Amino acid sequence: MREAIPRARRPIGLVLALALAAAVNAAAQTKDVEVGLIAPMSGPYARQGQVMKMAADMAIETINQQGGIKSLGGAKLKLEVFDAGDSVEKAKNAAQRMVADAPNLVVATGAYLSSFTLAVTEVTERAQLPVVTFSYSDLITSRGFKYVFQTSATGVQQAEGSLPALMEMAEKASGKRPQTVGIVMDNTAASVSFVKPMRDHQFEKLGLKLVVDETFTPPLANATPLIQKVRSARPDILILLPTVISDAKLLLEKMNEFGLGRGKLPTIANGAAILDPDLRNNMNIEQLEGVMAVVADWTTSAQKDFVAEVKKKTGEPWATQHFVTTYGDIWIFKAALEAAGKADRESVAKALHAMNLTGGAANFFPGNGKLKFDENGRREGASLLIVQWQKGVPITVYPAKDAISPPLWPKQ
Amino acid sequence: MPGIDLRRQALLIAVFAIAYGLLAVFVEHSYYLLILAVVPVWAVMGLSWNLLSGYSGFVSFGHAAFFGLGAYFVALAQIHWGLSPWFGIPCAAAVGAFAGLIVGIPTFRLRGHYFALAMLAYPLALLYVFEWLGYQELALPMQREHAFAYMQFEDHRIYVWLALALMIGAMVLTGLVERSRFGMSLVAIREDEAAAEAAGIRTLAWKLKAITLSGALAGAAGGFYAVVLLVVTPPAVFGMLVSAQALIVTMFGGVGTLWGPVIGAVVLVPLSEFLHARLGNVIPGIQGVVYGVAIVAVILLAPEGVFWKIKDVLLRRRLREAPQAACASAMVTALPARNRSPESKIAFEVRNASKSFGGLKAVRDVSIQVMQGEILGIIGPNGAGKTTLFNLLNGFIRPDQGRILLEGKDIVGRRPYDICAAGVGRTFQVVRPFRRMSVLENVVVGAYVNAATDTIARTVAEDALVQVGLQDEAQQLAGTLTNKQLRLLEIARALAGKPRLLLLDETLAGLGAGEVEEVIAVVRKLAAQGITIVIIEHTMQAMVRLVDRFVVLNEGALLAEGLPGDITRNPAVIDAYLGKRWRVANA
Repeated sequence: MREAIPRARRPIGLVLALALAAAVNAAAQTKDVEVGLIAPMSGPYARQGQVMKMAADMAIETINQQGGIKSLGGAKLKLEVFDAGDSVEKAKNAAQRMVADAPNLVVATGAYLSSFTLAVTEVTERAQLPVVTFSYSDLITSRGFKYVFQTSATGVQQAEGSLPALMEMAEKASGKRPQTVGIVMDNTAASVSFVKPMRDHQFEKLGLKLVVDETFTPPLANATPLIQKVRSARPDILILLPTVISDAKLLLEKMNEFGLGRGKLPTIANGAAILDPDLRNNMNIEQLEGVMAVVADWTTSAQKDFVAEVKKKTGEPWATQHFVTTYGDIWIFKAALEAAGKADRESVAKALHAMNLTGGAANFFPGNGKLKFDENGRREGASLLIVQWQKGVPITVYPAKDAISPPLWPKQ
Repeated sequence: MPGIDLRRQALLIAVFAIAYGLLAVFVEHSYYLLILAVVPVWAVMGLSWNLLSGYSGFVSFGHAAFFGLGAYFVALAQIHWGLSPWFGIPCAAAVGAFAGLIVGIPTFRLRGHYFALAMLAYPLALLYVFEWLGYQELALPMQREHAFAYMQFEDHRIYVWLALALMIGAMVLTGLVERSRFGMSLVAIREDEAAAEAAGIRTLAWKLKAITLSGALAGAAGGFYAVVLLVVTPPAVFGMLVSAQALIVTMFGGVGTLWGPVIGAVVLVPLSEFLHARLGNVIPGIQGVVYGVAIVAVILLAPEGVFWKIKDVLLRRRLREAPQAACASAMVTALPARNRSPESKIAFEVRNASKSFGGLKAVRDVSIQVMQGEILGIIGPNGAGKTTLFNLLNGFIRPDQGRILLEGKDIVGRRPYDICAAGVGRTFQVVRPFRRMSVLENVVVGAYVNAATDTIARTVAEDALVQVGLQDEAQQLAGTLTNKQLRLLEIARALAGKPRLLLLDETLAGLGAGEVEEVIAVVRKLAAQGITIVIIEHTMQAMVRLVDRFVVLNEGALLAEGLPGDITRNPAVIDAYLGKRWRVANA
């Protein structure tokens, strides 16, 4: 219904634009530009999808308030949401719906889990719809696709980059290099692949001695024997990789009980799960104090007043990884549309490939301060952040240029 | 199942295929085309599940194992060897078949819930194995050139047609199975596995064939699904939902039917998709709720599935129109004089057989000889070990010691179907008909063991029915028969296997006086044809007139044997079994 009016006016708009192109700066073109969000809106991941939608809504509201896409005559962005559900099949079906039901869509972001994104981009690639994603899997940008853009450091980059980043931070914070390390992990695929490069070559290369190495099958029934071993071995740093929240809770409670909590034993996890606001409902937040996580994105010093705005507009206590990236994605869309000057898929894809931004959208993605994709669609220079729970809030503490506050590290 | 003849069935399938195929021509929306391509995939999964679980009654919660292996085979074969799905999918069927066989061999040692739960373990285990192997996410490589050769079509309608072809293939296969001794044997196994085995059905062999074929269908469905989905992940193909979906579409449509899984998939898959697509983000989870409600409604209103409900309604209408044929009862003929001249050749021999169940010695050192052509009666008090002896004879249980010789050959350790094939038929103390099969089908199942073709089996079965006088009830469901008819049905079923020795276990139990005469007449007729008969019975009045010789068991041991006149006067037999009445009668 809403589209009917502009469509009827299009010939008039065209005539006007042609006639007054030089004098009037394309003010007559007011057609909305549709951008998509495909993410889980139902099922167990619905909460993450909702967060992504909040972020997209907030970014679009700001952009539209600031005058929309200027190169398109101030066209407003309009968000179309597609529910990726809770399975690869549903995600793929949603993608099919997206390309069939929304022919005017010019670009989309999504789809939360890597496996969903893989399935979704198989569809969007064939429909030549550019998709910007934060999913980690290396596979996403190693299929030779031309319409997919990955803003995160990939899974392999994260596994390779985590330990060196941690070592560098530890050395700066405490003045000496850690000598020993401990691992307490579950046997899920994510945890196993995270420590694989460490076990394979990094510990040796970095001169770290593995003094405690424990693997358990979730769910954990009793954390005492694991943490006892950690206490007696007393590594300089502990890599703690639970996947299930209840396991994380059990392990951290036991660490606190044994006097290893609250930053006394520097403890690091992977991924943003351990930084989620939901954790406040599940465990005593004080026990999370000092716990760190290696993540591919978070709120950094580059984003001024961002968290305050998030709090005000959404009621969320802080911006999580998916909030930040989805928000940033919408700004990437804006930049691409501005550069393209045309609201069609091909032009937007070209603009994304040609993009080389400093500041703006680039501020939302950690790395070398630039936003540029290589020919496979991978963001060049994508790097990692270390985030630490400080006074009940996860704060970026590494690298120094992005850090909001210095890391809490035990002084010995 | 019976009811719809072959030509009509084929016509129905053809009409359905054409209608479905045409539907795709007029749909342009790629999402609806995707749904149209996915519906047959789940129908094939349902048919695959149905082939094993629907017909044989061995409920599988683990069909995702075969589906997932098929999907991963197609994906990995294309990624690593560049194998096109055109070849990959047939290979995936072979992989599924092989997996079915490997899974079946150990798992068919279990029954009932244990089988179902054991099956559940396979996809769960495979899910972790594939994660551990590092195959969390596989994408079928996009082929920008030679797309057609790799089953990647711009035109999504081709997927629909391919899926449809796969489904029609599965339907035809199921139809062929259903009509052959394969399907009939599976249904007999579902109805009563022990009775089927005693009737000469090689139960394990058929079950293994069923799970192999079922695995092949599931493997092919999984392979095609990988092509449609383009991404394969362990939860998507090995997940609980895959097995559940196969089961749900079949239960919804109708278990043990050709059309059931198809009806289920055609209704439920688009419904759940539609609900998810239209309402999923408004009311998260609504699709699950409505889906669940639909299933609960079907279970309440049509517990055997939509197919049976429709069939029942149609059948009832037809029955109301056609008045029931008058029930003709077999005429009771007067007992012919029994020609008591058994040949001297030993047909069957038990030598020193013993069997204990824990501390209970059910059969103790029993030796019996059965002469060719004779009617031997086995009597004794309850718990004397009569039925246990029969179970030893037809191979249900193995004696702890002793030998059992059929026409001179030791048959200890041979399976019941094997012994049945060798010429030993039996009936049961408590009747064990295949209740959901027609009378004729019951007997046909018994005929397979010694019939080269299904046509011969049918002729033999019809003859057997005539012999026992059940020819008029041939099309009736066995579950609707009277006790006498069931007894005769069991005899006919045993008879159809062309036995030389017939073991009748309390065939006269629970019959009225007139009915006893009818059954005795039938038994005599069989004996007159040269079939050796061993009968367990308590009705002494009938027995003394029927049998040539008695064997008396007491507390598992042989108490006496001899001619009816001698046995009824034997004091030990009177004390142990017959009671004082007989002492008086004979005095």
